[in-house]
Amino acid sequence: MSNPRLLAGLTATAVTAAIALVVGSCEANHTALAPKVGGPRFHFGAFECTPFKMTGGGRIDYPDGTADKNPPASHTYETFGAHVFGSGQTDATGTCLADKGALEWIDHRPGMELNGHPLNLHATSVTFAEHPTDTDCTDGAAHWGGKLRVQNTGQEDLDFEVFDCDNGEPGVGHDGFAIRVLEPIDGLGDYEVTCPDPDLPPAEPSCTLTGGNRQFHPTHL
Amino acid sequence: MNIDSIRRAIRFAGLVLPLTWAPGSMAGQMRAAQAQSFGVGVTTATVNQQAPSAVLPAGGTMAQDQASNVSIADMVTAQDAFAIVAGDGTDASDAVSSATLGQVSILNGLITADGIVAMASSTVDGGGANSNAEGSSLANLVVNGVQVSDPAPNTRMDLPGVGYVVFNEQIPTGDGVTSSGITVNMIHVVLQQLGLFGYETTGEIIVGSASSGVN
Repeated sequence: MSNPRLLAGLTATAVTAAIALVVGSCEANHTALAPKVGGPRFHFGAFECTPFKMTGGGRIDYPDGTADKNPPASHTYETFGAHVFGSGQTDATGTCLADKGALEWIDHRPGMELNGHPLNLHATSVTFAEHPTDTDCTDGAAHWGGKLRVQNTGQEDLDFEVFDCDNGEPGVGHDGFAIRVLEPIDGLGDYEVTCPDPDLPPAEPSCTLTGGNRQFHPTHL
Repeated sequence: MNIDSIRRAIRFAGLVLPLTWAPGSMAGQMRAAQAQSFGVGVTTATVNQQAPSAVLPAGGTMAQDQASNVSIADMVTAQDAFAIVAGDGTDASDAVSSATLGQVSILNGLITADGIVAMASSTVDGGGANSNAEGSSLANLVVNGVQVSDPAPNTRMDLPGVGYVVFNEQIPTGDGVTSSGITVNMIHVVLQQLGLFGYETTGEIIVGSASSGVN
């Protein structure tokens, strides 16, 4: 199964909680689901499967992941480039499929070095992309993911998910980005850069950009 | 319709229609997002090299390059250099580029830094066109043994016997309405020699360069 554990987790939760999960329609709004214990953190009150694209890149200073930069000498920051094209089509399981996408992620924190180099994650495939509608991201949001490779070690086929937020211009101080790898990274263990805020809707665990921009486009045509 | 009428029609089409079509089609052709970044660039009479380097392809959305160790002409060394460019090459509304490096040494340690981020971002929409260098930084910058903290944009320092250096160099372009761009060079060394007519530029070293533009 190519979609990440999140969707499997959502499905499992839906079954056990006897919550009807509306799938199969491109325009369907999905029922709100809580994350299961030990499952993905990201969850949505509502999302839709529509064509869109999200482009750009940037910098996050996590922790804390706020709009303030950490002292440069601390090397406490992450940089990335990423894009995704949502197809607006679902497969037989209800997964909202991505047309294509890419992710290059570098974690510059000294504690995240592997083999003496900054952690470098590279998406090998982007399989799903859906459009959350219960966010405060004014210009648009995306939840997407697929498989990645840890460039430092060659570890392959790790599922990942991204929460992506275009919250106006400029991107710095407004837009957000967060990543979670769903299987342990050899040498590091569990890995995620997320910044959930209790004052924001649950679909916004993204960290605020300290540089760069995320740009949501309502259609990829 | 006689032959003269046909000739007049052809002449009209040949003279007038291109004038009416050209502006729209040119505007369409000129809309573009540009992004380019590189870790280290050296240009002298004998060296012209950049590494690693990434350029946003026409119609593309992302490109990247990286190098664990960079050494160019015994003038610059750096580690863990990444160049990433991203944007929308189709509707040209946004472009972002970055270059990051660690453990940089220029001219045998005359200038060192243990972390560099160059970041450029450009967007254009109904509200206008904007660019910025937010996210750029220099960590533990030392020049000739002296620590330099967080240099302001376009900070210039003389390097006796070498030339001069500009830190956090920011070069904006565009009209801010329909177009905007910026180039950020975190360390830009201009190599100079004394010649017959004063100091002459003989080359340059740029470390941490990011450019973006939209129109």
